[in-house]
Amino acid sequence: MEYVYLAAGFGAGIVAIGAALGIGMIGKAATESIARQPEAAGDIRGAMILTSAFIEGVALFGAIICIILALK
Amino acid sequence: MIQMLRRLFLTLLFLSASTPATFALDEQATSESPIDILGTVADHDNLQTPFGSIPLPRIFYWENGAGESQLDIYKSSASAIASGLFEDIDHVVSPVSGHIIVDLSITSHLFFFWLSLISVLLVTLYVRSLYIGGTGRISEPKGVIQNLFEVFFVFIRDEVAKPNIDDRKYARYVPYLFTVFMTIAFMNVFGLLPWSATATADITVTAALAICTFVITQFSGTKNHWGHVFWFPGVPFGVKILMIPVEIIGLFTKPFALAIRLFANMMSGKIMIIAILGLIFIFNDMFGSTAAYGISVFSVILTAVLYILKLFVSLLQAYIFTLLSAVFIGMAAESEEDDEEHYYAEHTA
Repeated sequence: MEYVYLAAGFGAGIVAIGAALGIGMIGKAATESIARQPEAAGDIRGAMILTSAFIEGVALFGAIICIILALK
Repeated sequence: MIQMLRRLFLTLLFLSASTPATFALDEQATSESPIDILGTVADHDNLQTPFGSIPLPRIFYWENGAGESQLDIYKSSASAIASGLFEDIDHVVSPVSGHIIVDLSITSHLFFFWLSLISVLLVTLYVRSLYIGGTGRISEPKGVIQNLFEVFFVFIRDEVAKPNIDDRKYARYVPYLFTVFMTIAFMNVFGLLPWSATATADITVTAALAICTFVITQFSGTKNHWGHVFWFPGVPFGVKILMIPVEIIGLFTKPFALAIRLFANMMSGKIMIIAILGLIFIFNDMFGSTAAYGISVFSVILTAVLYILKLFVSLLQAYIFTLLSAVFIGMAAESEEDDEEHYYAEHTA
């Protein structure tokens, strides 16, 4: 019974939940701030993209480990 | 809420009771799958073109059985094996007697890395000759290449370098940031073409770029920056001792994260494309050719959509790498008067 594939699948799912939660919170805060202060839209967009990249990097650490588990 | 938990528990109970029936599938578990995902993404010693595969030279610095090290250059893996000194063990060329010290072969990823660097160099030299002739300075810029070059260069200088690095120092780093941005963008976009390899889907390539950023960051560190790393000001003494290993580890994790982020994004895009197109072949194997024809419609449309996403992600990841390099250089090159804590201490005491 190959539990490795099950573990990889669960791991990837949990990683996706974490990344989606984090980036969703950033999106919510960014759109609310732009709505409050439209002049700062450029700065807020830059900060949003930068922070999303950090979170996506961490999420892809986990995804790479799941891929290595599943394909080894 | 309780009802939902009860239903969830019953579902899990049902699933756990039915898993023993899948033991029978174990006999087929060791069959070869029709697609080889990691084999396609990994480095190759040949270049794939629409007309066949071109073998690339193999360069070995190895120690033969008699204990003497030598540097050997072969035109291809086949000629290395034909010379009798090397043999092919499980798709890895290794010497019959002795071991390889450094394998300096030219692989497809290295070829595409060099191709992107040379492309960026050629574009920059061409634009330079135009500027020297006065086309961009005295009169307006002429042509697609010069205008695009100006768009990207001004974008890197004004949106990436200037907001993040000190006003007096940012001009020194713009060439490096521009080169990194264009090289990564070229490499990522070359990987989208059919029959070519994504050079950034290799951890060694992204690690090399991250090491360049790391070296430049350390060499641009001011005394203020090193003071912060080793003796963090403004916190109690015990926390200062604790911060020393934390900051030193932080010095290394930041470029490491840069490398892994770019590598993981590019590799995951490539693996997704291979897996979704490979579904056609897997369905062909498991369910027959009618299912394969049926799934091919869905697979090809999904692949086309994923290609658009991958194009966006390629350019975005190049921008993110450059932006984070600029941020790290800016943090290291921060001078004393702009430091927030010293500003507060000097202007309130």
